[in-house]
Amino acid sequence: MEAILAVTSKLAAPFDLMSMLSEVVSAAKQVLKADRGSVWLYDAAADQLVLEIATGIAPVRVPASTGLAGACAHTRRIINVPDCYADARFNPDVDRQSNYRTRCMLTLPLVDHNDVLVGVMQVLNKADGVFDESDEALATVLAAQCAVALQRVRMTAAVIEGEKMRQELEMAREVQMSTLPSVMPEVPGYDLYGTSRPASQTGGDTFDLSHIDQGLLVVLGDATGHGIAPALSVTQMHAMLRMAFRLGADLETAFMQVNNQLASTLADDRFITAFIGLLDVASHRVRFHSGGQAPILHFQAATGTCAHHDPTSFPLAAMPLASLKPAVNVALLPGDILVLLSDGIYEYHDAQGEEFGEQRVEEILKANRGTPVAELSAILFAAVHAFAKGAPQEDDITMVLVKRLPDAAAHKMFRRSFDSLQAIFAFTADFCSRHGVDSGLLPTVDFVVEELFTNMVKYSPDGGAEVRIDIAAIAGGVEMALTDYDVEQFDVTLAPDVDTGLPIEQREPGGLGLHLIRRMVDSIDYEYSQERRQSRIRFRKTLAGPARSRETPGTGD
Amino acid sequence: MLAIDFGAEGVVVINGRLDAAEAPAAQSFFDATRGTVTLDCGGLEYISSAGLGVLLKTQKRLLASGGKLRLTGVNRHLQDIFRYSGFDQIFEIEPAR
Repeated sequence: MEAILAVTSKLAAPFDLMSMLSEVVSAAKQVLKADRGSVWLYDAAADQLVLEIATGIAPVRVPASTGLAGACAHTRRIINVPDCYADARFNPDVDRQSNYRTRCMLTLPLVDHNDVLVGVMQVLNKADGVFDESDEALATVLAAQCAVALQRVRMTAAVIEGEKMRQELEMAREVQMSTLPSVMPEVPGYDLYGTSRPASQTGGDTFDLSHIDQGLLVVLGDATGHGIAPALSVTQMHAMLRMAFRLGADLETAFMQVNNQLASTLADDRFITAFIGLLDVASHRVRFHSGGQAPILHFQAATGTCAHHDPTSFPLAAMPLASLKPAVNVALLPGDILVLLSDGIYEYHDAQGEEFGEQRVEEILKANRGTPVAELSAILFAAVHAFAKGAPQEDDITMVLVKRLPDAAAHKMFRRSFDSLQAIFAFTADFCSRHGVDSGLLPTVDFVVEELFTNMVKYSPDGGAEVRIDIAAIAGGVEMALTDYDVEQFDVTLAPDVDTGLPIEQREPGGLGLHLIRRMVDSIDYEYSQERRQSRIRFRKTLAGPARSRETPGTGD
Repeated sequence: MLAIDFGAEGVVVINGRLDAAEAPAAQSFFDATRGTVTLDCGGLEYISSAGLGVLLKTQKRLLASGGKLRLTGVNRHLQDIFRYSGFDQIFEIEPAR
């Protein structure tokens, strides 16, 4: 009994299976004065006994019904064989292979305290004779200790394996997310937003919104299944599409070739539903193909309702395509929104199994038609979560919203005189308030327009009688242009910076306006048309632009 | 759209927008000031470089005769403009509370 207590404490230490097995075997050999020992672990799923030999070497597996070990696993009783070669259940092959002679053998079931069979332990050749009844009693006590210790290690291993799997999923997720656009492209007259919120397990959503030579690329994709595979599939599709377009493919070619490539690459049971569209921002038309991605909602501002479009094809990768139906061609009118949502939204269900559905989406679109789309997206998320009342998100949720800003642009002619400033400020303020442009931008916008306009008044007194001012709402702000007619070329944006560190006696007010403008706007550019003798200065100011905060460096020094 | 006048204790109070159109009127008002002048900017919503020119010219003139122009109640937008232009090194500026 003292011997058992001594080995029990040793069994508490190891955390990996191989060292635990070797501890168990050496404990058994020590306690039972045996020459050799081995432990067969029971694999319940396969109903096999598994003999681990060493780390890195494939274990020996035998059906759990053969030999002395099998008999012990089956009966869960100790088997004491004093002369192995006289017992029919004994398999002498092992002796032959290892050049050893087994005389006597004790085979013990390892059963933990939940009555689960962990394995079978065998000890061979007692030092001075055969195993007797007191050895059997001792072995039974020892076997119980060993079973518990082994089971603990096996469960720890399962937890570690689960953690490894989680980390691998996370890496796949990282790759998947890294391909998504982090900054929305800016398109005058449009408000664009795309976002993807993964579920806890890796799903297979992707989206794209980017300027390419063919237009503004709009993509939403959703690969079947969960885990690493769909994450990699959509990432593949995303990259293939970008590459196809970069190589000059048109919409049809890109759609077909990417489909055909995916069909030959992906496993037979995998496919990707995807919307692939190109927006021509000049004609405000979206041409698209949809491989099984639906519904495609087109919110129409004029009626406050949604038009639904069907897919033009089956999901990508399902099978090769030889030909394609014509693309759908949709005209976006002022205020219209193209709404692409992955089924994670429509199919999000509450605890009772009711789905969020299309109707709720349409109501939200109608009620929030004037809201910037980034905010609209947040409203949709909030509505889905409120609806689900705590039911977990089971699928990735991805949204791509393409909104043509309502009546997004205005322009007006102003007399070439300082006296026009009042009217200009009123024009800008009125536009901003009608189009929801943040009024906090007004002082800066007014400042920039005044500097540019008064420059025109001062330096081109012989120009046309009027200056044209254009204003357009863009995401988070405005784009404005001042056009001066019948003037010489003069690029004010090239005016040198002012040395703001000079002592006051040397400071002059001249040039300060442009010095300041450059620090206030997101961008400014100048273009001159020789034929029309026309100067145009265009600038953008958004909330995301140079901050009006105290931390902003910009004293010009 | 610009009102400028003397308030309590000789403080100059300016209200509205000091743009290029209003600059000449503001300049002639400041031309008549002497000594140390406190300008209460609490009601000044907007200033352009033309307005900055008026303040600069006035400051130069007052400093030459031992006086100066102090600005009080300066809002965030104006503070940024003064800072970007280096005028915060030329004027004593007291931000709006």
